[in-house]
Amino acid sequence: MTAPSLWEVLDRACNTGPIMAVKDFDMKIFRVASRLAKEYDIKYDPETPVPSDDSLADDAWKAGFELFSEVGTYCINSNRVIKFEESEIKEGLRELRGEAVVGEGSERRVLSLRGVEDDRPPSIVCGGVIESNFPEGELFVKLYQSIAQEPIIDGFYVGPPLQSSEGRLVRSGTPLEAHLGRSMVSWVREAIRRAGRPGMHFISACTAAIANVAACDPNDGLRRTDGIVSTIMPELKTDYENLSKVVQCHDYGCIKHVYNGSMIGGWAGGPEGAVIVSIANAIMAVMVYNLGIGSSYHALGYLRVSTPNYSAFVTRPCVWGSAIGSQALSRNTKMINTAIAMTNAGPGTEMQFREIVAALCASIPCGREGLSQGVRRFKVVPLLGSGLENRFWGEVGHAMAGVKRDFANSLADEMLSKYENKITRDTDGGPLGHTFDEIYDLKTLKVRKQFIDIYNKVKKELEDLSLEFKYY
Amino acid sequence: MTKEDEILRSLSDAVLNFDSDAAADAARATVASNINPVKAIEEGLAKGLREVGDRFERGELWLPHLMLGAEAMEAAVKILAEHIPKEELETTSRGTVVIGTVEGDIHDLGLRIVASMLRANGFKVYDLGCDTRSLNFIEKAKEVDADIIAASSLMTTTMPFMKDLIEALEAAGLRDRFKVLVGGGPVTEEWARQIGADGYGRDAAEAVRVAKELIVKERSD
Repeated sequence: MTAPSLWEVLDRACNTGPIMAVKDFDMKIFRVASRLAKEYDIKYDPETPVPSDDSLADDAWKAGFELFSEVGTYCINSNRVIKFEESEIKEGLRELRGEAVVGEGSERRVLSLRGVEDDRPPSIVCGGVIESNFPEGELFVKLYQSIAQEPIIDGFYVGPPLQSSEGRLVRSGTPLEAHLGRSMVSWVREAIRRAGRPGMHFISACTAAIANVAACDPNDGLRRTDGIVSTIMPELKTDYENLSKVVQCHDYGCIKHVYNGSMIGGWAGGPEGAVIVSIANAIMAVMVYNLGIGSSYHALGYLRVSTPNYSAFVTRPCVWGSAIGSQALSRNTKMINTAIAMTNAGPGTEMQFREIVAALCASIPCGREGLSQGVRRFKVVPLLGSGLENRFWGEVGHAMAGVKRDFANSLADEMLSKYENKITRDTDGGPLGHTFDEIYDLKTLKVRKQFIDIYNKVKKELEDLSLEFKYY
Repeated sequence: MTKEDEILRSLSDAVLNFDSDAAADAARATVASNINPVKAIEEGLAKGLREVGDRFERGELWLPHLMLGAEAMEAAVKILAEHIPKEELETTSRGTVVIGTVEGDIHDLGLRIVASMLRANGFKVYDLGCDTRSLNFIEKAKEVDADIIAASSLMTTTMPFMKDLIEALEAAGLRDRFKVLVGGGPVTEEWARQIGADGYGRDAAEAVRVAKELIVKERSD
C-alpha cells in the first residue's frame, strides 16, 4: 500500500472532499488543539525557552498527529476538506527518505537527517532577505552576491517578489509578476556566477504559481537542483496557487520546499496550541504537498506571535514552541526539517544578532538539518538586508553543532533577556537597522568596519558565554 | 444586587464564558423581566465583549475567543432585537464597517482580528473575507449604508489594490460617502497618505481607535 498520490490529493481538494465553511474549519482547529493540549498536558513554560524533555516533544508529536487525522486540510478555493485515513498518514510518513540533494557541481549539497543534540554540522545553511524592498536590477544582484560570496552559505531563499518590474508597479497574480519571477531568477544566476558559485542552490518564493513556472529553465533560469516554495497557510490550509506550485515541482522535477509557519494568537490559540498545529502543518506537508516524493525539504517556520499590539517572531513563546516542534519532528519522522526565523530588529544591530542566536538555539541543538532564510522587517523599508547577517546565521549555526539543549536553553534565555523588552508596539518591534549600502561598500562588496565591530562584539559575547566557534 | 443588575451580569458573564446558550437564556430573562433591551446590550453584552477584547489585547485570550464571545453576544442580540424599535436598535451600533483583504491577498488572520476588535467595540461589521475586489467592497458598502470601508493587505504586491479601491470610489462619485481605513503588515502611514486613505491602523488596537475617530469626524461634518 502507498500513500495517496498527488493526483488523488488534488481530486480530494478540487472534486471530492467534503465542503465546509472556513469559519467552522478554523474553530474546529481551535477546539481540537485546545483539547489535545489538555489531554497531553502541554503547558507553556517561559522559564525554559528550550526544553530538554523528550517526553514533551513526543507528546507534542502525538497531539499534532491526532489533530491532523481529525481535522485534515482546508482548500480555500473549493471550500473542501482534504481528509486522510490514519493508515494513509502512517504510510505517507513511512515514505519519507530522510535525504534531499540540492545544488550542482561543486555546490551540490546532501541534506540528511540530524538528531537532537547531534554533533554534525547543519547540512545546509540557506540565507536570504525577506520582505525588504530592493529595486530591480544591479542592486538586487549585489545583494545576493554579498550572500553568495560567504563560503559558509550553501544556498538561499529568493522572495517575495519585488515591487516593480521593468519600472512598473507589480501587482500580485498579474502578468508583470510572471515576468518578474523570471527576471529575479536571472539576476540571482548572475549574482552566484559573480561569486564563482554557478551551481549554488536557491529557492524561488514568488506568490503566484505562474511566476515560478515562468522562471523554470534548466539552463538560464530555475534549474532542477533549485527549488520552489509552497506555503502552508495558517492554519492547515492550502489554495490552488500553492497546489499548482507543488504540481510544477512534480512535473518539472525541481526541489520542493514547503514553508510552514504557525501563529500564536490565531486559530491555534496560545503557544501550546500553536506547537501542536505546527506539527500538524508539517504532516500536511507530507500528505498534501507530497514531501516524500522527489528531492524535497520542509521548513518549520518559527512560530509567530500575532496580537493586536504587535506581530513578532523570535520572542520567548516562539522560541519555546519552535524548540519543541523541532525535537518532535526530529525524534519521530524522517523529515528533512530546516529552520526559518525572521528577526524583529533590522540588519547591522546587536539585537538582530542576538535574535539569530536565540532562533538557532531552538533549531540546531533541537535536531534541524539546517537553517533557511534571513531576516524580515515587517514594515517594508528599502534596502534592509545584507550578506552580513547571513554570515552570522552560518557561523553561529555551525558553532551550535553538538551543543546540548541545557546549554542552548541558558544561551537563549540570556539572549532573550537582552532584547525582549524592546519588542513593543512603540518601537515597532525593535530598531530598524541599517541599509545594505550603509553596511557594505557597494564598489568592493566589503562590510564597513563599524559593522564588523558590532559583529565581533556579539561573537565575543557568545565566546564568553562558552559557545565555541569551531572553524575560525 | 437588584434583579436587573443580576441579569446584566449574567449577560456579560455569558459573553465572557463564550456561552451562546447562557447568553440566549439571559436574553430571555431580560425580556421576561421587562428590562430595557438596549440597556441589556450596552451594559451587559457589550461590556462582556469589551472585557474579552481587553484580555485579548493583554495576550490573555486569543482570536478564537473573540469570535466565540461575539457569537454569544449575537445569540442574545437576536432575541433582544425583536423587542427594540428599529431606529433605537441603530443607536446601539457605533458605526458600520465593511472590511476585507484586498484583491489577490489571502492572508485572513489580521483581518479577522481587526473585525473582531471592531465588533467588540460596538461596530456593526460586514466581513467580506480575503481577495475582495474593489467593486465588491463598494457594492456591499452601498448595500448596508456603511460608514467605513476597511481594507487590509499583507503583501507589497497587493497594496496597489488599495489605491484602486479609492480610485473606484472616486470614479463612482462615492469618495465622500465612505471613509477608507487601511492597514496590514507592509502598509505604512505614508502609503495611506499617498493613496488618499482617510485613516491608517498599524495594528488592530490602532485601527479601532482610528475607526472611532473617523465616525466622530463623519458625524460632525
